[in-house]
Amino acid sequence: MKVLVAVKRVVDYNVKVRAKADGSDVDLNNVKMAINPFCEIAVEEAVRLKEAGTATEVVAVSIGDKACQEQIRTALALGADRGIQVETEGAVEPLVVAKLLKGVIEKEQPQLVILGKQSIDGDNNQTGQMLGALTNMAQGTFASEVAIDGDKVNVTREVDGGLQTVSLNLPAIVTTDLRLNEPRYASLPNIMKAKKKPLDVHTPADLGVEPKAHLTTLKVEPPAERQAGIMVESVEQLVDKLKNEAKVIS
Amino acid sequence: MTAQAEPRLFDLGRSEDQRMNQDTMERFAANEIRAVAKEADEAGATPEGFYDKTAELGLSLLPIPEALGGAGMARSPVSNALNAEDLAWGDLGLTLGAISPQAFVNTLLDQGSDAQREKYLPRFCEGTFYAATTALMEPRATFDPTVPQCTATSVDSGYTLNGSKCMVPLGESAELVLVIAQLDNQGPAAFIVEGTPKGMTRTREEHMGLRTLELAGLTFENVELPGDALLGDGSFELQRFVDLSRIGLCALAVGCCQGVLDYVMDYVNERVAFGEPISNRQAVAFMVADMAIELEAMRLMTWRAASRAEQGLDFQEQAYLAKVACAEHAMKIGTDGVQLLGGHGFCREHPVEIWYRNLRAIAILDGVASV
Repeated sequence: MKVLVAVKRVVDYNVKVRAKADGSDVDLNNVKMAINPFCEIAVEEAVRLKEAGTATEVVAVSIGDKACQEQIRTALALGADRGIQVETEGAVEPLVVAKLLKGVIEKEQPQLVILGKQSIDGDNNQTGQMLGALTNMAQGTFASEVAIDGDKVNVTREVDGGLQTVSLNLPAIVTTDLRLNEPRYASLPNIMKAKKKPLDVHTPADLGVEPKAHLTTLKVEPPAERQAGIMVESVEQLVDKLKNEAKVIS
Repeated sequence: MTAQAEPRLFDLGRSEDQRMNQDTMERFAANEIRAVAKEADEAGATPEGFYDKTAELGLSLLPIPEALGGAGMARSPVSNALNAEDLAWGDLGLTLGAISPQAFVNTLLDQGSDAQREKYLPRFCEGTFYAATTALMEPRATFDPTVPQCTATSVDSGYTLNGSKCMVPLGESAELVLVIAQLDNQGPAAFIVEGTPKGMTRTREEHMGLRTLELAGLTFENVELPGDALLGDGSFELQRFVDLSRIGLCALAVGCCQGVLDYVMDYVNERVAFGEPISNRQAVAFMVADMAIELEAMRLMTWRAASRAEQGLDFQEQAYLAKVACAEHAMKIGTDGVQLLGGHGFCREHPVEIWYRNLRAIAILDGVASV
């Protein structure tokens, strides 16, 4: 079984981001970039399937400029077998990403596609679902457990109010939630070996997709600064404040 | 354009490999080292399974030839120093323990014989932590790392080892110890001591810092060693070993001091006195600025020494200067870290007191972490 995982280059989760002075975007100058944490969980899951003998090949794909090859290499260092970069310029919207991934799926014919449920920069949570719609493949989103069972995959999903398990026919799309697994550390020898693994570069035209912008960002600004909190003396005081000051209960 | 690119003055950027290593090291330092450091310090012991976890990073096996089970990568003093720096941000003592086998491995690769490499190096490639260390320091007031007073005497069956070593990292548990001794009054040599042969005793030492490192004293009374215990052909380059160790120590100091700086910066911007963050007071801001300046100097001197070592240039002077600067500044940064937190710094609730105690060791130790 071939597994395709998508990885995205995003601002490292430890970075305190700032808006650009002109409000046009988040300032990415000299900011540490990393693989999106949910994508890393996707890679880990794919590699575990391979280690368990269920998957035969793990292919990591990323969409972006040349810099995103670094994140593909991280995926290769974590255990993916080969990488694909779809070379694009500037920001790419979820729908375009989904269309490009559909193109990669048509070329690669994976049995299972694993993606992060969302990326921590845009927080859109759209690509996996859009990809499901475009390819007509079954989708199991927000996975906290993935079990292959013959030509099916059982996905335990984290939904409001509990867990739901769905059984999908392969080929299928899975998007990962935080509790699916704990990614390993890329060991130093594997980081070096990742260099020797193949990495192909495609253009959107190769995949028959023309990237179009449907969204325009009007303004990026930091959230308003919060007032410092206070400690209340008693439950009565808390209820009183919620009623009369915050007016959130009546 | 010349056929061969000249080394450029002055690019201090990390290579792509080094950035990827940094990702792994920084995450490991935060999640696996910093997270357990306080408890480990209080217990005076390394948490169970900790060193095996560090073995997954593959630090020791990286330069070991593939034929012996390693990764067969070119040895890079710069990358090794960067890795030590990034890990030591989590904790100095735990990192020093984790990289002590690297000192043994690197010295064996550097100066050992083929037979010795084949015999010992596969043990470091089995995925678990194999405790090995080097024993350089000796318990006397006039200690000079380049003139050991431990002695080895040639006998028919091999060598007889006498003398004592102190402050040996992992000294209680190391299965292989590289002991530096004077051979037949001809000059320094290194000997591989396996296990605890008859006449060798290991005694745990209690120190103010590095309490997880199992620093121990080793004594040798007429310890009989086989002929193949002598490292290489006996012409041991002790100065090179000492200089590489110094770069390693400096890198550890830099990483730990970066931890101090990061911590106090957050603290002085959050801690409010007289209605504003204490960082608004110049007396505080200047201290933090001095810390950043000293730290950058330490880092650049360390990188320069490592870079010269990597290029095969003479680096004795640079390693020595870095060591002196790091020893002095690390102590200053350690104590200022405590001072900036005031009463909170003295209190064991904050980690600055651990760092203060650990950084004090940089001026004391020598020859414990080869890069």
